[in-house]
Amino acid sequence: MALNTLEFECKCAAPAAAVTAPVHFGVVGSGDLEVLMTPAKAGGAVKVKVVTPVTGFDALWQRVLAAFVESAKLGDVAIEINDNNATPAVVTLRLRQALAEAAA
Amino acid sequence: MKTQRKWDTLATDTAERLAAAGQFIGAGKRVEAKDVVALLEAVIRPGDRVNIEGNNQKQADFLADCLLKVDKGKIHDLHMVQSAVPLPAHLDLFEQGIAKKLDFAFGGPQAGRVAKFIREGKLELGAIHTYLELFARYFLDLTPRVSLICAFEADREGNLYTGFNTEDTPVIVEATKFRQGIVIAQVNKIVDKLPRVDIPAGWIDAVVESPRPFFVEPLFTRDPALITDNQILLGMLCLKGIYAEYGVQRINHGIGFLTSAIELMLPTYGEELGLKGKACTHMILNPHPTMIPAIEEGWVDTIHCFGGELGMEKYVAARPDVFFVGPDGTLRSNRAFAQTAGHYALDMFIGGTLQIDPYGNSSTATANRVAGFGGAPNMGCDAKGRRHVSGSWLKCGQELPSMPEQIGTMPRGKRLVVQGIETFGEGREPAFVEELDAWQLAKNAKLDLPPVMIYGDDVTHIVTEEGIAYLSRCKDMDARMAAIRAVAGYTPLGLKAKADETRALRDAKIVMTPEDLGVDRDRATRDMLAAKNIRDLVTWSGGLYEPPARFRNW
Amino acid sequence: MSKWSTLQDRSFLESNARERAIGIVDEGTFTEFAGPLDRRTSPHLETLGEAVEFDDGIVTGVGKIGKTPVFVISQEGRFIGGSVGEVGGAKMVATLKTAIALADRIAKEFPKAADDEKPVVAISFETGGVRLHEANAGLLAHAEVMDQFQRARGKVPVITLIGSKVGCFGGMGFVAAATDAIVMSEFGRLGLTGPEVIEQEMGKDEFDSADRALVYRTTGGRHKYVMGDCNFIVADTVGAFRAQVAELAKLPVSAFEAMRRIGSAALVEKQLKGVALAAEMQPKDARDVWKHAGNADPVALANVPLDAFKATVKRLAL
Repeated sequence: MALNTLEFECKCAAPAAAVTAPVHFGVVGSGDLEVLMTPAKAGGAVKVKVVTPVTGFDALWQRVLAAFVESAKLGDVAIEINDNNATPAVVTLRLRQALAEAAA
Repeated sequence: MKTQRKWDTLATDTAERLAAAGQFIGAGKRVEAKDVVALLEAVIRPGDRVNIEGNNQKQADFLADCLLKVDKGKIHDLHMVQSAVPLPAHLDLFEQGIAKKLDFAFGGPQAGRVAKFIREGKLELGAIHTYLELFARYFLDLTPRVSLICAFEADREGNLYTGFNTEDTPVIVEATKFRQGIVIAQVNKIVDKLPRVDIPAGWIDAVVESPRPFFVEPLFTRDPALITDNQILLGMLCLKGIYAEYGVQRINHGIGFLTSAIELMLPTYGEELGLKGKACTHMILNPHPTMIPAIEEGWVDTIHCFGGELGMEKYVAARPDVFFVGPDGTLRSNRAFAQTAGHYALDMFIGGTLQIDPYGNSSTATANRVAGFGGAPNMGCDAKGRRHVSGSWLKCGQELPSMPEQIGTMPRGKRLVVQGIETFGEGREPAFVEELDAWQLAKNAKLDLPPVMIYGDDVTHIVTEEGIAYLSRCKDMDARMAAIRAVAGYTPLGLKAKADETRALRDAKIVMTPEDLGVDRDRATRDMLAAKNIRDLVTWSGGLYEPPARFRNW
Repeated sequence: MSKWSTLQDRSFLESNARERAIGIVDEGTFTEFAGPLDRRTSPHLETLGEAVEFDDGIVTGVGKIGKTPVFVISQEGRFIGGSVGEVGGAKMVATLKTAIALADRIAKEFPKAADDEKPVVAISFETGGVRLHEANAGLLAHAEVMDQFQRARGKVPVITLIGSKVGCFGGMGFVAAATDAIVMSEFGRLGLTGPEVIEQEMGKDEFDSADRALVYRTTGGRHKYVMGDCNFIVADTVGAFRAQVAELAKLPVSAFEAMRRIGSAALVEKQLKGVALAAEMQPKDARDVWKHAGNADPVALANVPLDAFKATVKRLAL
């Protein structure tokens, strides 16, 4: 019944990007999510925390986040996600939009 | 010695039936609503092939209800030949034994009952057709003996005005009447003078003023408020990677939100890509409200319609340079002609789907619903009989590495058939699957073949949020399957993609990611849409578009 | 999120709660209270296994329009229909309390402060009312917000903004009605019982919630403007809402009494006149009332562009 919380770390081959200030993006609508990215020293890794009512997609979350971290060359960031059943396409889109917001 | 044969048995039989019905048919072929059940009992015989007009839009619903009330002792085991069975009454006929066999094209909301009745033996399925295929058979081996059609108005002689929603009426009446069949029409109103004559009185046997206007479903109205950012991303990929890449001018857009998004991005992203005048100039589609901004911005030269769309009457009438409008000033749609144009003269079919298998076969079937095909397969295929040339058709054909295997050095074009789909659907169901649900449906509903909407060899492009697979550039099945995997994202099928293989496909421009295409994902937001809600569309139309009540947002 | 300058021309309907909050005040002036970084999610939703949001679906904060401190409360309809629970309700109440405290302090320390230097509250409603998952806390929040309105009265004007997809229904419909001034767009809807609930209770023949033409002409901005249930109707841009708030922010607090719907014997009398009129007219449709107010062609009036509507509409006089 309780919410499902997933915590894991991703590390890309050559981290080159970080966020300098906290950034928030998105709304936890149906099929959507919000993401909070904050600077976090983690030896170049990205700490991820996902809170979602849906279970059974742990591996999928890890793959989607790992691919995002790799493509964005992200390191030393904490990513927190509140999810309400977003598809991988929406997850990737929102993560990129959040990052674009951080760069703006 | 040659035996004497009678050559006019059909006409004689028709005359007998009409004589039996004579007491109900008055001047101007007029029948009172209360007499319709008796009329049907007089003109229909057990086992007859009967057509009830109706497709995914207008419905001869009053006549369908009347047929349901006939004495089952007199009329039973009918063979229904009709475009669609979306009304409960269409299936109730089988439940009650009035009808026995069905040949159709589209199941609509009754798709679940169709599957169930087949399984239970209540319904004997002839075949599931495309519209054009079924129309063709009306003139070969499935000619209706009696057709129950619908029109807006009739005059005192029995001429009919089908107007904006002409749709299937001409093809049904022509097939039925010219093989000595019987045609009965329900009309909303009997008037002194029609705006124009769409069907001459001589082809009609009886006309009834229906107690209520015929039902029409506004199936092609997509509320821009419901378009998602991901649909916008897919639309941007299509516009840049396909519309611009090939310069596609002659297009059919499907019913889904992806093509609505594209329509609403023509004046924004399309304009930015410089596509105006180079893409979407000639369209085969219903009067989609989401086309209004592009039409107003001067993108479109011509639109021919399968059917009408509720609320678009005044707008279409005010744009006769674009639409096919009669001398009376109202649209004449015609499904048979629009489908013919769609089959032979389009350069591209683009639409959404539910599932794609590893070979690129694409299906909207689910395990327990016989949804049928409608018109998509006729447009979502390469018309082998096509001989005229257009730029995008030729370019797509020239890309095809497999062409020499089939016809040697002979040049030939190919239609672009584009399937747009997000890698995961609702509830995170993967859209790329090892086996289509169509196989399970074939088993459940005892079909001879899995009902496949678009076969893999017809699909030239698959578009997902991961990018575009240019299947037209694949030399063999192995390459196609690799290209499909490469855009299948995190689905089990997509996870089988190998990084080096995908890299090679990208280098060969067989797979293009948004980044390869220069499509900025961060811009994929609703700000891209020229109209964001129904009221915006009304504003674009200068108040000419009058949306049905259920779509209003002010 | 769009930049402040682009937000001004952006559709209010399309914007999210935070964009509305930021865009309604001057550029760069918005400071958020209990924002996402504070991670004040609902403990009740968590227990129930329902998705949570860091701001619990309500954005609160303060900014300025010109010299006026503007306290902003902005509800997010996409998060559980904008429903108000314990955390979001507490944020609303605390924001109101802070505004009142500032007004008290200004009155005490700067008795000569000009009208446009005194705080106002702007609430963008997008809600169906109480969050059923935490109904007691949500209901209590409604009462506490109402209580703060009473304390704010005559000190801090409270301005309602409604231009969102969900509209303002349920208990929050009462709350909005108790504010000093109501600004709507034609896309906004205001009512007590939501359309779906009316249909469920009274039947489809009485009220067909799928008939959105009916829904809007019963609860939508244009109808509320005719009825006097809202004071102002503005275009669907963040900038248009902001401009209306800016106009109101200049006014002395006493000027808001005349805009209110409830809260005095005279207003009660006026409301009763409305009830009497309904009993006398027995209207079958909102259009009957539009006609009674002097609008000969209500169907056309509902469809013309907003500017033409504002220029020609006759409002109900009670």
